[in-house]
Order: sequence, then C-alpha cells, then structure tokens
Amino acid sequence: MQVRRRQQVTMTGVAAVAVVALSLAACSSSPSSTSSTPSGGSSSSTSGASLSGTLNGSGSTFQTVYQQSAISAFKSIQPNMTVNYGSGGSGKGRTDLASGVVNYAGSDSPIPSDETANFKGKTVLYFPVFLGPITMSYNLTGVSNLKLTPTVIADIFEAKIKTWNDPAIKAINPGVNLPSTPITIAVRADSSGTTQNFSLFLMTAVPSVWTLGSSSTINWPHTAHAGNGNPGVAQIIKSTPGAIGYVDYADAKASGLTFASVENKSGTYIAPSPSSASPAGAGVTVAPDLTFHAVWSSSPTAYPITYQSWVLVYAKQPNANDAAMLKAYIGYLIGQGQSLLTGLGYAPLPASIDQMAKAQLSKITS
Amino acid sequence: MSAVAPADQAVPAGSAGALSERRPLGDRGFQGLALACGLLVLVILVLIAVTTSQQAASWFSTEGLKIFTNNWNPAANDFGGLAFIYGTAVTALIALVMAVPVSVGIALLLTEVVPYRWSRPIVYVIDLLAVVPSVVWGLWGILVFAPWIQHIYASIGSGVNGIPVLGNLFGPPTGGPSFFTCGIILAFMITPIVTSLSREVIATVPAIDREGAYALGATRLEMIRGTVWPHSQGGVVGAVLLGLGRAMGETIAAALVIGSSPEITSHLFAPGYSMPSVIANQFGESTGVFRAGLMGMGVLLFAFTIIINIIARGVVERSARRKRGA
Amino acid sequence: MAAVTGDEQKADLREPPSWRRTKNRIATALMVLAFVLVIIPLGFVLFTVVAKGISIINWSFLTSPIPSIVAPANEGGIGPAVVGTLEITGLATVITVPLGILGAIYLNEYGGKNPLARAIGFFSDVMTGVPSIVMGLFIFSIWVLHFGFSGLAGAFALGCLMLPIVIRSTYEMLRLVPNALREGSYALGATKARVTVTVVLPAAIGGIVSGALLAVARALGETAPLLFTILGGLTTLNANVFSGANTALPLLIFTNATQPYPGAQDRGWGAALTLIVLAFILMIASRLVTARFSRYSR
Repeated sequence: MQVRRRQQVTMTGVAAVAVVALSLAACSSSPSSTSSTPSGGSSSSTSGASLSGTLNGSGSTFQTVYQQSAISAFKSIQPNMTVNYGSGGSGKGRTDLASGVVNYAGSDSPIPSDETANFKGKTVLYFPVFLGPITMSYNLTGVSNLKLTPTVIADIFEAKIKTWNDPAIKAINPGVNLPSTPITIAVRADSSGTTQNFSLFLMTAVPSVWTLGSSSTINWPHTAHAGNGNPGVAQIIKSTPGAIGYVDYADAKASGLTFASVENKSGTYIAPSPSSASPAGAGVTVAPDLTFHAVWSSSPTAYPITYQSWVLVYAKQPNANDAAMLKAYIGYLIGQGQSLLTGLGYAPLPASIDQMAKAQLSKITS
Repeated sequence: MSAVAPADQAVPAGSAGALSERRPLGDRGFQGLALACGLLVLVILVLIAVTTSQQAASWFSTEGLKIFTNNWNPAANDFGGLAFIYGTAVTALIALVMAVPVSVGIALLLTEVVPYRWSRPIVYVIDLLAVVPSVVWGLWGILVFAPWIQHIYASIGSGVNGIPVLGNLFGPPTGGPSFFTCGIILAFMITPIVTSLSREVIATVPAIDREGAYALGATRLEMIRGTVWPHSQGGVVGAVLLGLGRAMGETIAAALVIGSSPEITSHLFAPGYSMPSVIANQFGESTGVFRAGLMGMGVLLFAFTIIINIIARGVVERSARRKRGA
Repeated sequence: MAAVTGDEQKADLREPPSWRRTKNRIATALMVLAFVLVIIPLGFVLFTVVAKGISIINWSFLTSPIPSIVAPANEGGIGPAVVGTLEITGLATVITVPLGILGAIYLNEYGGKNPLARAIGFFSDVMTGVPSIVMGLFIFSIWVLHFGFSGLAGAFALGCLMLPIVIRSTYEMLRLVPNALREGSYALGATKARVTVTVVLPAAIGGIVSGALLAVARALGETAPLLFTILGGLTTLNANVFSGANTALPLLIFTNATQPYPGAQDRGWGAALTLIVLAFILMIASRLVTARFSRYSR
C-alpha cells in the first residue's frame, strides 16, 4: 500500500516536472522583442540638452576601440548617460538587436538574407561610422616595401605560392631581394568581419582566382596558422619569420608590423593608412539605406582592402528617451567623434557618406 | 524540531513507514525541502538539455547523418562535425592520461605519506592551482607555453620521423598550438578537481582497515592496493568523471591553444580542433544552420558524457562485484 | 610476519623483503614526483601573471572606472569588474551551493533507487561535460531575452556550471559516510532530518566544502557564460547585480590581455593577478572555517 502510494507520488512528480520543463522550453524558444525594453531607457525622459539613462550595444570587435574611446569622450558631453558596448562579434550584435536586448548593434556587414526574418519586419537603420584598412602584414627581414597584387594575395592564401622567391612575387617586386623562406599564412581562428571583408575583396577583385568564397569563416589551407582576434594573428606574424597575414591597420600599427602596398583597381600600389582608406568610401555605390562595400573601390587613391562598419538601430524606438539618447550618441559617432579616428588608426567617413548619415538621424523616432 | 516519537520504539523514528503520520513536522518539512530541491535541479537540467536540443534541431534535420563527416565549411554551407568530435576525444584522453595518475598520486601522498602538519600547505598549493582562471591558462598557453614547446615538438618530430607507430603519433607536422598542447593545459586544469575529491574520498577509509593491513605486515603500497583502493575506487572514479567533464567542456582555454584546424590526424603535435573550441570561436558570427550546428556540438557532448558515464559506472560496478565475490 | 618464512638469510623481523620495500619506495617517489610535476607549471603561470601584472596594482587601480582600451596604464583601473565578479559569483554561490547540497541529500538519503532520483543523478552526470558557453546561451534564451542583461543572469549561468559539480561531489561524500553513524543516531531516537543535518553532514563537511570550493573556483574564472548574460564593456560601476549590464574580471582579462596596446595589457594582467589573489584568499578562508567546524564535530 505504502509502496504504491509512494510510486504514485513519484510518478506525479516526474510528470509535473516534465510538463513544467517543456512548457518553459516552449516559451523560451521564441526570442521575444515585444516585452518592455529590458535595457536602456531606464530613467526619466528629459528634453533639451542633458539626457540620462543607459544605452547598451554589442557587435563588431572592429568597432571596439572606437566605441570605447567615443564612450569615454562622450561622458563629458552627456555626463548622465551611460553607454556600454559589449563586443562579441557582428553576428552576435545583429542577434542581440533582433532579440531586443541591446539598443544598437555594431556590424561589419549588412544583415544577410537568412537573418532578415529575425527582425520581424521592423525597419533597421544603417549608420556607417568609419572605414579601416586591412593590412597585409608580413615578417621578412630585409624586405620593407613589399608590393602585392590581388592575384598574388589570392594564390598565397590558397597555398599555391609557397615560397617568398616565387616568380610571381618577384615579378611585381623588381630589385627586391626575396629569400627562399617558405611562406607561412596567418589567419583568424575565430569568425570575424575582417575575414568576411578580406575574402570579399578577393572574391570581388579576382573572382577567377579565388575559390574559397566569402564568409566570416573560411576553410583555409591546412598549413595555415590560426590566431584569435587581430592581435592573435599579429602575434603569429611577429614570431614566425616568413609569415604573412591579414590584420586590421590599428592592431598592425600598434604591434609594430610591416605591411605591404597593394595594387588597387586603377593599377596603383597604395600603402594602407587612414588617409588612403577614406577615399575608398568615395568611389563606391552607396545604397539608399547607406549600405555599401568599400573593398576594391574604384577611387584612384584608395587602398583596395578597406572595409567599413555600421551602427544598426531600429527606426522606431519604444520611448522618446531612447530615441533621444540614440540620436545624441550616434550623432556623436558620426559627428564630433570622427576627429578621434585617425589617432586610433581608423579612417573617417568621406564627407558625402557622412552627410547622408547625419541626414538619416532624423529617421530615429519614437 | 522534536526528536523522540512517543510510545512505539520498534520502528526507527526516521522511516516513512506506517507511522508516517506520527513524524514530526520538521522532519517531514526537511524531506519536502530536499525533494523540492531535487525537483528543481531536475527541472533546470532537463530545461538545459531540451532548449539546447531545440536550437540544434535544424542542424540535425538539414544535415542528417552528414554531421558525422569531416567537412566543416560554412562558406559552402557544409557542416560535418567529425573533426571536432575527434579532437574533443583526443584532447580529453590526453588530459586524463596525464592528469589522473598525477592527481591520484598527490591525493595518496597527502593522505598516506605526508604527516598532517605538512599536508595543509600542499592542499593550499592544489587550491592555488584550482583558482587560476581558465582564461589565464589559455593566455599563458598561447603566449608562453606554446612558443616554448613547439621547439621540443619539432625536435621529437624530426627524431621519430619515419618510425612506424611513433612517427605517426609524434612526427611532423608539428606546431605550438596542437592537440597535445591543449591536452596538457586541460590536464593542469583538471588536476585540482581530481586531486581534491580523491583526497577527500581516500580520507574516509577507516583507520581500522589501514591499521589492519599494516598489522599483517603490508608495506604502504600494499596497504593502498588492498585497503584504500577497493574502498575508494567508486569515489575516485566519480572524481575522474568530474575532471573529464571539465576537460571536455572547457571552452576558452582550449580555443586559444588547440590550433583551430579542423583535421583528423593521428599526429598529436599538429593543430586540431574540438567541439567547445569551435563553438567559442565561430559563434559570434554564425546564423541559421551554422549556429544550429554549433549548438549541436553541445548536444553531441551530452551524448558523449552519457556514454562515458555509463561505461565508467559499469566498469566500477563490475570490479566492485568481483571483489565482493557476489 | 613475513620474515618467519625464513626466505631471507638476514631476515629482519620488522622489515619486509627488499623487493617489496623497493616497490614501496618507488611508489612513494612517484607520488612525490607527481607533486613536483604539478608545482612546475603552477610556478610558471604564477610567475608570468605576477611579472606582468604586479606593476600596475594599487588601490586606485582596484577601484577606478575602466578606461578605453587605448588608454595608458596609469589611467583608470578595474573597479567595476572587481565588484562585478564578487557580486555575481557570490550570488551564484548563494543560489547554487545550498540547492546542490540539498539535492544531493535527497539523492542519497531519501531517493535511493526511485525513478526521480535516478533521473536527477543521470542528468547531473550529463551536465558535468557541457561547455560553459552552452550554459551561457541557455540562460540567454531563457532569461536574458525576457529580462535583459543583468548580473543575476550571469549568476544563473555560473550556477548552472557549478550545480553538477556540487551535486556530484556532495553525493560522493555523503555516500561514504558509514551507515553505522546513521544507525547509531536512529537508535537514539533521532528523526531522519536530524540525523542528516547533525550527523551525516558534519561527517562529510570537509569533502562537501572542497567540492563547493572547486565549483566556486571554476565560476570565478569563467568567461564564456558571462559573454551572453552580462554584456560586459562597462566603464562605470553598476553595483546593482539584479538589473542592468555588468562586467567581470574574466571578461576584462580576455579582452585586454592580448591587445597590442601596452596599457590594456597591463590592465588585463593586473586583473588576472587580482582575480587569482581574491580567489586564493577565499579558498584559504573557507578551509580555515571548515577546519574549525570539523574539529567541533569530531
């Protein structure tokens, strides 16, 4: 009698647990962005110059340094506002924005087609914030001004060119003493917008040579050495003689790496720098929603492997304070904040794009 | 809470038997509390399993059995995960092979060899090993350890190149970040767990049994084999399983030192990849089936852990039964 | 006695034959070697962390707000991350350890072989191997999506990591408490609850605390679960652990220590040193407190 009753109790318990667990799982499977905004807009709404509240953003690590510097400087303009930028990658930023847990996202690419459904039809505004060169950094003693063409780069990173004194490299570097050192390619271990845009450059410039596609994660040849983050790749290059890899200009410069000049669409060899990256934005077609691709720009003075990053926000904000804070902060990023960029190793937006971005600010409404 | 149940002494006061209505409220309350906690734990664990599987569902349905191929190429929408399964198994195995003898050795050292006064500092040293954050292990691994050990790998590699079995295991290609480096770092991380718990388990061996063995003339080693081991093997296996769980689930440190190269190779000094590492590295930019695939790695790890636990428990049961003579 | 066999010419009545003695000595030497093998890498890691991090540590570093990555080493500090780690891990411990201990008590003392106990044991075993990042994603989809980023969410994520460790280690220790102790108490008329709390738990407390400390040590150092639950990237302190984004030392270490900017590197390694020292103090304090209790219960 007792045994059966205990069994019944246990069975009921297990059944109850299963029901609870499954129903909770069912609730949680649909990311909800309909709940009251969990982040930001937590203080009284104000009008006029002084705003207060919290803004949360996440996404592209390419933007991290700029976001952090801007947040520091912005504190003196709006001391009662707190802005937090949590990095995590462009994909994470877009997901966080789609789920409604952040107020803005940083992304190195426009929203891909298989993600658009996550935004449930709400309009997303793209605000380009800066441009930045991707350097071809290398470690070769005695060679300080290497020149490379997209074809040669593609062949190197597909492991078709294996040594530094390969005829293809020698042909474009006459007079340079290239050793017979084997080439070690340094690539990203983690998925990244840098990889995405670097491979996009190769796919756009030399589609017949580059076979590995364009994505945040590429199936590199097995001989490649992979590092985490731009600093990780920089470290591999620094410590491996004969290495070559793709590193953001800001990190390459801070790590003291040597970088190559790359032939652009007009046939000129351009060295990466903030001043050669800005023109890249002028020579591309900008869509009405302010998306564009700065790689392989047709501007004659542009560095060909330049890429861009956007801040994404919803056009319609849940309350007036959020809208005001976003306008103020994004306005800073595309306005006064641009003066911080060159010192950090990024390129400011060309005037044409900057004006379009500023005009778009008014589209943030509540 | 009141202790003594009046009148009927034949039944122990703690049993939930026919006299359950006589049990004091505090006693039933405590049992209810323990039951509630047990249920809550179950809900949480089941939820984790269910939600993770849900998020991985599209990967299983899209790829089907192809998930067991070695073809992970997000740019081409291929998501075969065999290389990661292999890498997890290999690194966990290396970590166990290195950590378990060392950990059990230290545990025995602490309980059998070292006088009590010296055991406290040694315990603190093990604690110090435990508090090194996993991210620091990873950073030390990639910044200090890997560059140093890659020269050793290269020398060993060129030395055994060509020899039948050794050449396949330790021959070139070699690199700093590799299966073996990851295994070593994981071993460092799981040693405190296995040592600490094994020590606690071994300490519960009754002194009488130990003294009995010595009285029969056994050396310390013989006493350990005859008395300590049979008593504590279940607990030590439990400790090892916890360590194994940590080794299989360690994310950031492994991602930094494993080399991030999805390959199935017998060369232990070559770069490789593992399930938690690929999740850590590629999650930030993943969407759709790609993301489901990464979550699916987590689900596969559940399956791994289940299988290993069942095997381990079975082995312990069988040897315990044999010793009991049943 | 072994020597009675008369095998050895110079039989010492107290000493076993030499080959058994040698095996014994080898075993002892191996055990010592094991310890040495562990000290060496520990020494190297600590040396690296101290060498890179000690120069920046001072009170202002431990309490100042977090500056941007490019800021030089003498600006700012890691204050928000220190507070964040203490609060979030503290909260996780307070939630998880009692839950885990009570759950293990249920498994061992009350559950026996019934299906519920078996299910709990089974799932707990399964969860020991889950990558920490999966736990973070789980809390993200269950909690953060509805309530936003918060230190509480981070505590839940860390708690999910800690729970299987606490349950398993407590269970193993409870299992090893001899039944004679329990039966003696029953014989004196104690209820099951009283026996568990006053006899079984104190007998196993050393091991239970060890297990709990290991779980806490793991939680203190985890990065991945926090990435999805507390956001990070903070510059100023958020002392409210229940709402709003937060940050923690492991996140700071992870983002800063690999940066090419020297200020960020110093801050990252300073944070690593701070975390290790904090955690070590915690563990020593816990062990001292436990030793005090065990003495009373013996």
